[in-house]
Amino acid sequence: MFLIHCPYCDEDRPEIEFSYAGEAHIARPQNADAISDAEWSEYLFIRENKRGIHCERWWHTNGCNRFFNAVRNTVTDKFIMTYEMGEPRPTPEEIEAARDDD
Amino acid sequence: MTTDQPNPYRLSDSGTRQISFTFDGKTYQGREGDTLASALLANGVHLMGRSFKYHRPRGVLGSGSEEPNALVSFDRGAGRVTPNVRATTLELYDGLVANSQNRWPSLKRDVGAFNNTFSMFFPAGFYNKTFMWPRSFWDKVYEPFIRSMAGLGLAPTKPDPDVYASTYGHCDTLIVGAGPAGLAAALAASKTDNRVILVDENPALGGSLLSSEKASIDGASITDWLAQTEQALRQAKNVTILTRTTAIGYYHDNFIALAERLTDHLADAEIGQSRERLHRIRSDKVILAQGAIERPLVFHGNDLPGIMLASAAQTFLNRYGTAVGYEVAVFTSHDSAYGAAFDLHDAGVHVPVIIEARTDIDADLRDSAAARGIEIVLAAAVSNCFGKWRINALELYTPINGKTRRIKCDALLMCGGWTPSLHLWSHSKSSIKWDDKIDAFVPGKANENASCVGACNGDFGLQTALEAGGRVAGGEATYTVSEVPFGRGETFRSLPNYKDVSKQKAFVDFQNDATEKDISLAVREGFSSIEHVKRYTTIGMATDQGKTSNLNAMQIASVAVKKSVQEVGLTTFRPPYTPTTFGALAGYRSGDLFEVERKTSIDSWAAENDAVFEPVSIWRRARYFPNGSEDMHAAVARECKATRTSLGIFDASTLGKIEIVGPDAAKFMNLMYTNPWAKLAVGRCRYGLMLREDGYIYDDGVVGRMAEDRFHVTTTTGGAPRVFRHMEDYLQSEFPELDVWLTSTTEQWAVIALNGPNARKLIAPFIDGIDLSPDAFPHMAVREGKIFGIETRLFRVSFSGELGFEVNVPAHYGRAVWEALFEAGAEYGIVPYGTEAMHVLRAEKGFIIVGQDTDGTVTPQDAGMSWAVSKKKKDFVGKRSLMRSDIVANGRRQLVGLLTVDPNVVLEEGAQIVADPDQPIPMDMIGHVTSSYWSETLGRSIAMAVVKGGFDLEGKTIFVPMPGTTHSAKVCNPVFYDPDGERLNVG
Amino acid sequence: MLVDQGLEIGDTLSDGCLTVLLVSERTRYSLRIKAEDLTAFNLESGLGLPERIGQSSLTEARMQLCLGPDEWLIVTQPDLDKGLGAQLKRLSDSFIFSFTDISHRNIALTVQGSEAVAAINIGCPLDLSPEHFPVGKVTRTVFENAPIMLLRTGEDVFHLECWRSYGPYVTGLFARYAKDIEMS
Repeated sequence: MFLIHCPYCDEDRPEIEFSYAGEAHIARPQNADAISDAEWSEYLFIRENKRGIHCERWWHTNGCNRFFNAVRNTVTDKFIMTYEMGEPRPTPEEIEAARDDD
Repeated sequence: MTTDQPNPYRLSDSGTRQISFTFDGKTYQGREGDTLASALLANGVHLMGRSFKYHRPRGVLGSGSEEPNALVSFDRGAGRVTPNVRATTLELYDGLVANSQNRWPSLKRDVGAFNNTFSMFFPAGFYNKTFMWPRSFWDKVYEPFIRSMAGLGLAPTKPDPDVYASTYGHCDTLIVGAGPAGLAAALAASKTDNRVILVDENPALGGSLLSSEKASIDGASITDWLAQTEQALRQAKNVTILTRTTAIGYYHDNFIALAERLTDHLADAEIGQSRERLHRIRSDKVILAQGAIERPLVFHGNDLPGIMLASAAQTFLNRYGTAVGYEVAVFTSHDSAYGAAFDLHDAGVHVPVIIEARTDIDADLRDSAAARGIEIVLAAAVSNCFGKWRINALELYTPINGKTRRIKCDALLMCGGWTPSLHLWSHSKSSIKWDDKIDAFVPGKANENASCVGACNGDFGLQTALEAGGRVAGGEATYTVSEVPFGRGETFRSLPNYKDVSKQKAFVDFQNDATEKDISLAVREGFSSIEHVKRYTTIGMATDQGKTSNLNAMQIASVAVKKSVQEVGLTTFRPPYTPTTFGALAGYRSGDLFEVERKTSIDSWAAENDAVFEPVSIWRRARYFPNGSEDMHAAVARECKATRTSLGIFDASTLGKIEIVGPDAAKFMNLMYTNPWAKLAVGRCRYGLMLREDGYIYDDGVVGRMAEDRFHVTTTTGGAPRVFRHMEDYLQSEFPELDVWLTSTTEQWAVIALNGPNARKLIAPFIDGIDLSPDAFPHMAVREGKIFGIETRLFRVSFSGELGFEVNVPAHYGRAVWEALFEAGAEYGIVPYGTEAMHVLRAEKGFIIVGQDTDGTVTPQDAGMSWAVSKKKKDFVGKRSLMRSDIVANGRRQLVGLLTVDPNVVLEEGAQIVADPDQPIPMDMIGHVTSSYWSETLGRSIAMAVVKGGFDLEGKTIFVPMPGTTHSAKVCNPVFYDPDGERLNVG
Repeated sequence: MLVDQGLEIGDTLSDGCLTVLLVSERTRYSLRIKAEDLTAFNLESGLGLPERIGQSSLTEARMQLCLGPDEWLIVTQPDLDKGLGAQLKRLSDSFIFSFTDISHRNIALTVQGSEAVAAINIGCPLDLSPEHFPVGKVTRTVFENAPIMLLRTGEDVFHLECWRSYGPYVTGLFARYAKDIEMS
């Protein structure tokens, strides 16, 4: 059971309080009517399913009730950092600097 | 006491109380502090079980949790039988009852033992290869045969009457193993302000110290040092000691599962007293001091009872005062076995020979043996063992001259070196590396804040372990120790034998009955990865997880595949470290507490009024209210009829409710639902349809506008949590600029649905502050007022098609209001109805149930609900998807009604639909029945179905093939009753 | 009134070391306001809502509990604290915020005694040592399969709330633990 740092509570909390909420930084198209079916499908269905550094969302369901972002290494299964909803995706340098999971 | 000498193999009387126990129906004497194994050995009983595949007679191999052979069934009465308990860890108490396993009818006469005689037919992969063909034989012949023969022990057949406990715990330092390294670590940690937990699977602290009499620490005997240490640790307020506790699994971020056995060692364990406790511990730092496990030697006949690990014999002697025999031979490739030999000799046991696989040993050992008159034969091996139920002689083979010699013995000790215990370390995904010096894997890089100390780190010897333990916990401990040096050894990938290898039975994995030959065969057949060899031979896959076998298997495999051991690698260890009861894993969560069963505030009334309940998500809901001996059919028909003709009362409290509040509430509603909300007047309601972004129906429910900035949303019972999540997700992630907030109010309100032409008449006398007249309070409206003086949100809505009201009152008042309404309703013949009648009533009206008539692939168009989708709104969740080419394409499954040609036939829900019943099998299935009921109101059956191109099939006949018959039905509009909605205004 | 939930648990579950009491009726509001409006809101209202997640302000009549970055639960003793609903209504003229009456959604238990921490830790995965969970700290969390809200009001005293239908499950777990204490 992971310990996950909730950026809102600013505490490490047990995974059992959280729910996984899919890949992060997938913006809902603002111009949905104007884009093609193919582009819309891309938004709806296509996910990175990445081996390695993965940005994903978690929901502190039984805590502060906030959705937030996390960077996790799907190979080592270690959380590298978490940050609030709306913050930009961390740069590769920022992720590298935060890593201690090699 | 039955004889003068109840324990002929007991050498020292430790002064503890004599107790009796029963094994396989026979009563024996043992001593307090014994394990079942030590007590049986004290009685001269070595035969303790039959092996898994060949049903070979087996005795103990080890003396602790690594034991692969001596698995017994521990019997505390009906439902309290635990199979596969290791006799070496089962603590004796007065009256204990245990039985051997894998034998029928008795341990000495085992019908399954023919497997052994014919074992040439049972090589590795036998089950895979032989039972593949012919296919039809599998079900009728092979499978039942294998089932009857396979398995370890028998699962109990009665429910377990015992209860179990569970808890979470936190500490700074968790120490696993209370041998010298663990104890030294605990002593050092106890002097800090850390919270320390020390666990050990044994009943007493000490680990290997409990078996080593001859050492001393800081001038104190082992016994005295252990007593002082235990006292110091027990006095330290920051240290928690958990004995009889096994660390079974090591999970992410230093989360460790511990299984503590609370009552299995007690003669008088009451039912109701928790039998085991699962500790779920989060520790900042983990210190693994799990020691090492001795390796057997792999030679022909090495599984005969009486042949065991040297360290096991030493433990039985020093800890339990029991000799494993009086003529004890030793076969070793490691110095450590000499200590066992010398201890036994010094206790009065005759050691006829030490057979040494190595060509040379230290002079010290040679001298010590000579002083005791023990013969050492160098560069030799055991080539055969004799005896049926227990070894009575061995054959000594010296390859240099090809000679053999028969030596009488009643026990044979073996030692092939030591394997550091890396199980938990590996659970934590920490790496391991090969150490040539000790011919074993040792810890590599830690993946967590964890360290291994002592023998499990490959650091053998008492002083080494103590000092490493002290250091790892932050102490600068030095210990003055006198000890028998641990020594060194050599690993033999194969031992010499003059016999043809194919004729030998040299066991590697004792529990899964896998031999050296099996590994070579696997490699010959092309399995080169150790993980494949493991699965093919099943080595290391038994309940002991290969504690005594993995390293031997790997070394044999490395020879066969001509790779280094390092390249071959180790198989993956997985939790649990030792077999764990389901009870311990469940902890308190059993019986009533297995899962939450949610009940409404009206549920108790339903229970008192003989309701039959059904689970709806985790809610318990009344399904119907039978009168006397009525069956469901009769009760539902009566409940429906009463509701349509007069008045029914229904507990709708489980409906999900969400209060949506804020100046942007309507904007948010517009995004979440397909319907338009901006113009919905305060005090009015609207049916809301919610889609996922992919355009499929996700949920539905009636929404009331309580104020400009406040909506009272209802959801389906099962959908409440996911709808809340869906809304929060969009609000927080996509629309954070909106000033709106969500609050779950599901349990704030008890909801009493009143349906039927007399609904208004019933409530009218009790309502304050609401004009109930049809003009002032039309269908799909909501008002706030009072009922029986209690605050209410009164909805005029209907899920039955009749005049309907839903009385929302604060939950604590639910039952009182229900009872008052029920009493007043007597005048109208009020009838309580359950979910079944509710389903029938709504189906008669063609109202869908999300999740029953929809399945996650149904769009509003498919459901015939385009009317609920706003054409004007710029955006809502799912809107864009409704324009996707495959969503607007022809030939989608559409929701229709079905009327069977025979009105008495009630179709089966889920039944498949075909257009042509005469087509060849497999038929082209064009849809399936989603809802199907007997309608008392219509005097016939009705059904709903999703059918390919269904809207265009109205009036056409479709077919529902069922076993033995095919039903035909006409496609129709799904509104079966009162299509114009006139009933809403009757009353 | 709460009998329908099977919560006739009496005064205590176990002698001395563990007491689990059903708290009598309370008024509860879920209050939501954006963090940036909090200072002004506190100034105007005088409510003194705590500013950080996990903080509480406690009086005999009222608990104000910060559960999320924009979320407070206010629990009052109806006899001692009558005007809050009306006050919140008035404030909605001058502030953008939300308040919803959830008085009946939750039930509350007082868990107290030397075994209180151990009893809560049978199902709650949080570290309840005083350094990690000091008096005054509040949070939503879980108690095995039940979502709960936990507030520490004293060294050995906790105020635990859950949705009403989870009440029997929560008290059932405490009862099992109390039996363990009794039998050991």
